[in-house]
Amino acid sequence: MAGKTIVVTSGKGGVGKTTTVANLGTTLAKKKYSVVMLDADIGLRNLDVVMGLENRIVYNLVDIIEGKCRKAQAMIRDRKLSNLFIIPAAQTREKNAVNPEQMRQLCAELAEEFDFVLIDCPAGIEQGFKNAVAGASTAVVVTTPEVSAIRDADRVIGLLEASELKNIYLVINRLNVKMVKKGDMMSTEDIISLLSVPLLGVVPESEEVVISTNRGIPLVHERGSKAGSAFRRIASRLNGESIPIDEDGADGFFGRMKRLIWN
Amino acid sequence: MVSLLRRFFGVDKQSGQVARKRMQFVLMHDRIDITPDLLEAVRKDILEVLSKYMEIDGKSLKVDLEQGKDFMALISNVQVKRVYRHAS
Ligand SMILES: Nc1ncnc2c1ncn2[C@@H]1O[C@H](COP(=O)(O)OP(=O)(O)O)[C@@H](O)[C@H]1O
Ligand SMILES: [Mg+2]
Repeated sequence: MAGKTIVVTSGKGGVGKTTTVANLGTTLAKKKYSVVMLDADIGLRNLDVVMGLENRIVYNLVDIIEGKCRKAQAMIRDRKLSNLFIIPAAQTREKNAVNPEQMRQLCAELAEEFDFVLIDCPAGIEQGFKNAVAGASTAVVVTTPEVSAIRDADRVIGLLEASELKNIYLVINRLNVKMVKKGDMMSTEDIISLLSVPLLGVVPESEEVVISTNRGIPLVHERGSKAGSAFRRIASRLNGESIPIDEDGADGFFGRMKRLIWN
Repeated sequence: MVSLLRRFFGVDKQSGQVARKRMQFVLMHDRIDITPDLLEAVRKDILEVLSKYMEIDGKSLKVDLEQGKDFMALISNVQVKRVYRHAS
């Protein structure tokens, strides 16, 4: 059976797509699934440094597509998990070095080999976005609780719905519970009602994310981390496990909205 | 005056709710792709058509889009001053 192809996208840059891909991929690999993470952000590659694999790059995504190497040659194995790989983006090429049909083909081939193919999408809604979503059957839209991120997410959801991509889920990143309680940040409920897409989970704003990125070790390896647990639960829900969404709020903050989301 | 300004800019309301209200409006317009300019053009046209049949208070004519549960409504309110007699 072919694996799942999932694109992580957002419209706006800097909301946490790469962080999400790294943590979801790592969690799924820890669950013993075979996982490949594809960096589709051509010209601005980052997944390699977030995973701490920047020193091992020889070939990249564009090399595979141009037939300069075999797929296996461009795949870099994770330092900790032998069933987890990344395919880095080309750093010195243009986004139009690749077209959607080629991405569709590559993702289909990877899905034959792997249980999960996770695609890290560039910001924007142009060529790079079209390439990244072309081969995916599921989309995870990442937003933060800010007006510009939400507006861009809405636009992206509209574009995804207009394409063949019908499985669309939402991740809210960098929620600051203190600010929500003060009334100075849109709540999870507010965001769900604006975007009306099923919620996969909520990741709190956390210094731990920055620290783990500095080290190049995804946060989900860390046991006691709140943001890390949030990413683990998101990965499990993506994998079809039913975990109540209110566990994302340590203080029962989300209890009221359970009915709105996730089944 | 200062307090009026503060209210106008929503300083006194909790900013999360201000953001939510603004986004409701913005997303609705983004989705149907109707800009405020277009809405103003619609308003002018309605005014023109109605003026053929009745005398209306142009300043009172409002055109708004409202999001219902399963539908979107265009709601227009106008004060009619006088309906013309048939001239034929
Ligand atoms: N939950 C979070 N808390 C704090 N910082 C975060 C969080 N998520 C992401 N970041 C930081 O935000 C920045 C952008 O994240 P990144 O995943 O690179 O976004 P994108 O891929 O969407 O551009 C990074 O510096 C990252 O460490
Ligand atoms: Mg990125």
